[in-house]
Amino acid sequence: MEIPHTVTPRKDNGLFNAKVGIWLFLASEVMLFGGLFSAYVFMRIYADYPWPERALPIVPGLINTFVLIGSSVTVVFAWASLKMRQWRRFQIFMAITIACAGIFMVLKAIEYKAKWDHQAVRVDDFTIVEGHVHYATILSNGKVEHFHTKKEAQEAGEKDAETANKVAEEKVTTAPKKKDEEFDGLGKADLWKAGKPFKANVVLFKPETIDFSVVRAHESWVNAMLEQAEKRKSRLVTARDLFIYGDIEDYSGTESEPMSSKARAEQEAQLVKKFAMADEKKDRKFGQNSLFIPAGTLLSYTLLEEAGKVFVAGRAHNAATRTTILKENWKKVKEKWPGDKYWEQASEARIDAATQLDEQVDEAGNCSAGSKVVSLVSTLSFKMDPPQPLIIKRSWIKRPVKEQDGKAELRDDTSLNAGEGEDAAPGLLESPLALSVDAIDFRWVAQKAEEAGNDPMEMIEQSWIFSKANKNGSTYRKIWKVHKKRIGQLEQSLIDKYGKDEEGKPRRVATETDRYRVTWQDFVHYARAEHDALMPGDSGFDDLRPKFWNGFAGPNHKDEEIHKLHAFPELEIPHHKVSLQSMFTPKWNTYYAIYFTLTGLHGLHVIGGAIVLSYYLFFSKGLYRRNPEWLANRVEVGGLFWHFVDLVWIFLFPILYLM
Amino acid sequence: MSDTPEEIKKAQKKYLLIGLILFVFTVVTVAVATVPWLDFGEHGFDARDATIGLVIATIKASLVGAIFMHLSHEKKTIYVLIVIGILMGISLMGLTGWAFQDPIEYGNSVEGDGFFNPEETVKQH
Repeated sequence: MEIPHTVTPRKDNGLFNAKVGIWLFLASEVMLFGGLFSAYVFMRIYADYPWPERALPIVPGLINTFVLIGSSVTVVFAWASLKMRQWRRFQIFMAITIACAGIFMVLKAIEYKAKWDHQAVRVDDFTIVEGHVHYATILSNGKVEHFHTKKEAQEAGEKDAETANKVAEEKVTTAPKKKDEEFDGLGKADLWKAGKPFKANVVLFKPETIDFSVVRAHESWVNAMLEQAEKRKSRLVTARDLFIYGDIEDYSGTESEPMSSKARAEQEAQLVKKFAMADEKKDRKFGQNSLFIPAGTLLSYTLLEEAGKVFVAGRAHNAATRTTILKENWKKVKEKWPGDKYWEQASEARIDAATQLDEQVDEAGNCSAGSKVVSLVSTLSFKMDPPQPLIIKRSWIKRPVKEQDGKAELRDDTSLNAGEGEDAAPGLLESPLALSVDAIDFRWVAQKAEEAGNDPMEMIEQSWIFSKANKNGSTYRKIWKVHKKRIGQLEQSLIDKYGKDEEGKPRRVATETDRYRVTWQDFVHYARAEHDALMPGDSGFDDLRPKFWNGFAGPNHKDEEIHKLHAFPELEIPHHKVSLQSMFTPKWNTYYAIYFTLTGLHGLHVIGGAIVLSYYLFFSKGLYRRNPEWLANRVEVGGLFWHFVDLVWIFLFPILYLM
Repeated sequence: MSDTPEEIKKAQKKYLLIGLILFVFTVVTVAVATVPWLDFGEHGFDARDATIGLVIATIKASLVGAIFMHLSHEKKTIYVLIVIGILMGISLMGLTGWAFQDPIEYGNSVEGDGFFNPEETVKQH
């Protein structure tokens, strides 16, 4: 069937079909992006933190703007070529357009990667620290070491494993009798393997015991801990025999034959014996809803799940029992005082006495009444044997751990406990967030100070980073001194240039960002100046400043000069001083949330457009032979979409990169 | 609409010129944001810089729309579609604006105007 109006215009509006279609679609796209731009404006006006103004490196965005504008020109040329029936020329221009889409996406990927690799920290006094997080590795002696790069950490770990295994092997050869049984805790088959290096923004905890909630334990966290324990030749086992009851029949006998707690203990002891002899300890069930967990049972998520089922059954039983008892009590009370109002009777109809009653043994020693509710076990405790450091992600933890706490509580109600005594596991290991700093931002400190009516500068200088508690403090005090001097010079130069108004106030002053943010350019600038023994105000000082086209996707920690000058100094922030840590991802703040939403959605449009344009380039020769005008119309429609994608970027670039 | 091959041949020069203008405007936007002596208004970024950046972006977007997307000589139906789309987009922004019209946070119609006033908010908190 012939489709009408693919080439010839419609009579009513003078347009071919696809054009009406694409414009309807673009109108809806205007609303989609309009809504998101509106969200940006809303968030920026309403931000309760200093907005990261002009925070992105300009160069990748600038190149991408050129690339998209260029591709807009080439796509219109491709269409024009088809109109003039020049197939070869169309191919060339279309290929350039698609190549531009590729370049755009590659640059975008580089930019995204840089964000993903860049650590941001909010110290608990609202100082913002940015930089490249260090890597750490756990050595065979249980110590943790920090390194600047992943490669260094990897190599150190491997070297340590090699030495450790050599020592262990020597021990075996010098004590040949013990060769197979003992190997300093290591069998020959399982030598120490270097662990994967990890980012030094985690919490390390060496627990004696770990308690898991049977109903809330998070499967992937449990498995992560198990995996780590296994890697470090440690096991997580239960320390003692444990019976958990979900059913009254196992716990307290039946209604007619109640069981005293003494009798229950005897029954339990028998069961322990029976289970000890049983080959297969896995079959732990002993009653309808009850579970026996013998000492030495290995942790697994399935075990927690089973215990969880028992807990839920027991809780349901207890609830039902309480309701029944309460109903019965009400009945009795009403019979006793038939005339009373119910609120007058309320204090009489209590359930506590009946449920708390554990056992009643009569004179003959027979049990006349057992407890009607079972005692619930909501946590299972496991011993770590031997204790080994576990890497705990910060996001798992309920609140920052302090050394004196002795335990770390995770958000799934897991509790990692330190041991007691000198030889016991210490619990929290010193696990500072270690990074090479490339920016410090005090704007939030200043904002908080102004809100409280304090002097911003005074508050900044009292912040932790400059304090004696920070072991790298002197480095930062020195940098701050240079920074303050440079800003002083800047303010002076602004006065010299623009003068003061009638009231004697400078017409132009340094911005908050100038004053309170030490950027990566500042760090490099001051390091160069120190190398050349220059101070702010000296001639040549200002020329040492990096330009905006330096640092393609942001500060480059691998840069040789920066490395040599040691421009990005180290910092170790104690775990409990960190109030928020994140890579430069949507989690960090609303700016990065909207940045990734807008550019991500735009990037998807680029990919979608490139796919459609590729279809025209690679699969449309046939249509060109049959009906070139139809193909030209198709390319025009695809081009309209492409121009729209360019148009969105024209707004995105200044809004996200320059404002 | 430039439909005949001759017209299109002529139009190509125009496309190239527009592309060039867009390149130049991009450079201007970046220069205004980075070069100190082109810094208007206060020192550093401020409302005036934002206005300049957005005005240039709007000019660029209009050029793309008018020339590359042929909106300078399009049929009526298309204009109707775009105008509806843009009006809808603007009203979406208006919807967000209403979020600020919160009498509890920003005062009621007797004391305040009920609309968002950043300075007032800072004072209150």
